[in-house]
Amino acid sequence: MPVQLSKSLAFALAFSTIAGAGVALAAGSHSGGHGHGPAIGEPGDGAAADRTIEVVMSDNYFEPEHLTIAAGETVRFVVKNDGEFLHEFNLGTAAMHATHQKEMATMMEHGMITPTGIDHEKMQMDHGGHGMEHDDANSVLVEPGATKELVWRFTADTHLEFACNIPGHYEAGMMGEIDVTKPAGSGS
Amino acid sequence: MKTWLNARNSRAARNTRAAFAAVGVVTALLGVPPALAGTYDLTIGETTINVSGSDRTALAINGTVPGPTLRFKEGEDLVINVTNTLDEDTSIHWHGLIVPTSQDGVPGLSFDGIKPGTTHTYRFPAQQSGTYWFHSHSGLQEQSGVYGSIVIEPQGREPFRYDREYVVVLSDWHDTKPEKILANLKKQSDYYNYNQRTLLSLFDEAEEKGFDAALADRLDWGGMRMTPTDIADISGYTFLVNGKNPEQNWTGLFAPGERVRLRFINAAAMTYFDVRIPGLEMTVVQADGNNVQPVKVDEFRIAVAETYDVIVRPMEDQAYTLVAEPLERGGLARGTLAPRDGMTAEVPGLRPRPLLTMADMSHGDMEGMDHAAMGHSMPAAEAPGAVEPPMSGMDHAAMGHGTMPQADGPPAQQPMSGMDHAAMGHAMPPASADADPFYAPGSGLTPKAANGGKFLSYADLKAQRPLYEVREPTREIEIRLTGNMERYFWSINDKKYSEAEPIRLTYGERVRFKFVNETMMTHPMHLHGMWTILDNGNGKWNPVKHVVSIAPGTTVLAEVEVDAPGRWAFHCHLMYHMATGMFREVIVEGGPQAAALN
Repeated sequence: MPVQLSKSLAFALAFSTIAGAGVALAAGSHSGGHGHGPAIGEPGDGAAADRTIEVVMSDNYFEPEHLTIAAGETVRFVVKNDGEFLHEFNLGTAAMHATHQKEMATMMEHGMITPTGIDHEKMQMDHGGHGMEHDDANSVLVEPGATKELVWRFTADTHLEFACNIPGHYEAGMMGEIDVTKPAGSGS
Repeated sequence: MKTWLNARNSRAARNTRAAFAAVGVVTALLGVPPALAGTYDLTIGETTINVSGSDRTALAINGTVPGPTLRFKEGEDLVINVTNTLDEDTSIHWHGLIVPTSQDGVPGLSFDGIKPGTTHTYRFPAQQSGTYWFHSHSGLQEQSGVYGSIVIEPQGREPFRYDREYVVVLSDWHDTKPEKILANLKKQSDYYNYNQRTLLSLFDEAEEKGFDAALADRLDWGGMRMTPTDIADISGYTFLVNGKNPEQNWTGLFAPGERVRLRFINAAAMTYFDVRIPGLEMTVVQADGNNVQPVKVDEFRIAVAETYDVIVRPMEDQAYTLVAEPLERGGLARGTLAPRDGMTAEVPGLRPRPLLTMADMSHGDMEGMDHAAMGHSMPAAEAPGAVEPPMSGMDHAAMGHGTMPQADGPPAQQPMSGMDHAAMGHAMPPASADADPFYAPGSGLTPKAANGGKFLSYADLKAQRPLYEVREPTREIEIRLTGNMERYFWSINDKKYSEAEPIRLTYGERVRFKFVNETMMTHPMHLHGMWTILDNGNGKWNPVKHVVSIAPGTTVLAEVEVDAPGRWAFHCHLMYHMATGMFREVIVEGGPQAAALN
């Protein structure tokens, strides 16, 4: 998706891809529509979380950088931003992240996010009926010093990445690997 | 302090002194708390290299051009023995490293130089991390090969990730000895008897003859006058990647999907490069050894003596060409990133030589300007041996020989028939919204990415972690970059080094340097001993650098926290500009004198 578009078109494109929070996400739906990509899972119920994983964001890297989770597990991620810059924690496939990086670049261009924070006013501006919030269920934006939670239920064994898609951060290596293993006791 | 250092490192020194051909490294962990200490041995001597088609004598460090990569650890106490086997004095300057003035390696300012047949020992702690380099600061030895790279690993983790890394040293080699090149430059003016004219006089003439006539006339003269600088000094170079010419094709291996950190160092004497890797986006993570907020680019320009670290992630099982095109497009430095040795990718042809426009000489205050420098835009391709741009489809074999030496002849006698007067200065393109603010609006030098994508600007550089608090400068010093092409000298505020008083700073002050480029060449200004905070409008995130490049017709502000007592060099890093006078001594008075002693 070209980033250098007219303003309105860029916004429209951003809406169409960012809107739709809360639905269960499959990689195929975000990565170009091949339709048979691995399921990345779905938003989880915090009360049902099997465990909590703490992830610390620094400028510009995550700790830890590798997680192993069993399919079927619901995980409460507690994501703390220890850095001075705005960071994202986004669960998905490499292809989904590549798509989202373009959206984030557009948001940066339009001042909705800055290197150090979120412009909530611009973020919530109404553009033709669409709220332009960064509110995908598989992702949280965490401002410097803040801590946010994301509860996710992993449904299928696959390889995922958690990533910060703020322009340049993923490319510099701000990402981690998630191996989602076969469900415990599945026997297959 | 000195005794302690000696005692602490003597064992390591004894162990390694025997082997000078390789860099000996012995890490001594003595005492509590454990401190790192390493001893390194460098030998400067003659060697024979062949990068241009014939054997030539080069000056090498440990037998190679470039010299070795010195790998240090932040916090390490360094002992570096430099042995001189030449029959002339030499020196090593640690470019970009913060060291006590006595260890900075500038003969006449820091020490007396290293006499033939002797070994000099440098001692200083590695106080920083990142990519740097080192080179001779004696005469013109750097042009002959006395340069190498430095990698300092940080104490903590890097704020980015990569699976492997390569140092990429870009340089320019000339078969003509640099002393001869300089002599040619200086005598060239005797071949032609013309008067120096300035832009102001151009406007006077324009009143008499009309602007076009005056300019055309000026360009004719200017074209010949430029020759000393541009044709003689710029054509005839062979451009190298890690000491290899395009045909020899330096290759770095990767496995698809890996992140590869490339540590670019411009060790050329006179050449700016536009660097790209067609098919790969580069994420710039460090500039001049200091981490910057990552910025994705398709191409960047590296000034002489700068360093840029980028991370690339080649995903495909294919080769990628690393292209470093000199600004003047007089050839190409080429390397390859490949999954396996021997794989190559297409080598793109040279783009047209940039043409200077009136914008490049239209600074408000032009008395120091010398229009002869316009020759940037002159088609030096008329000279024999120069590569004629564009060269689409050029073959590798031709590239290796495309840069023939010809600085010995009077190149100004070459016809200038290729000159396009109409293209020069008559059309002044309007400044576009995304123009690089570090070039004059409408400048012919404003970089453009070959693929139409993002070209790094100085304005994009933001410190990852600011080194200094923001504060108002205590005073401003104007540094006008000036020159006289006819007599081939370059100067600061119209004075050569030999005619000028040192610049005196006081420890603890914060000085703003206002660089005003009144010439038509771009000057990479380098201050020793202290960081230069480039004012690029990013406030607390303004990046710290050791080289600030100032394009023609521009004014650039930079600030310095004066935190290092002693005598320091401050100069244009274009070798022949430095050698002919664009150089100042900076004396920092006051402050902790202990730091100035060893």
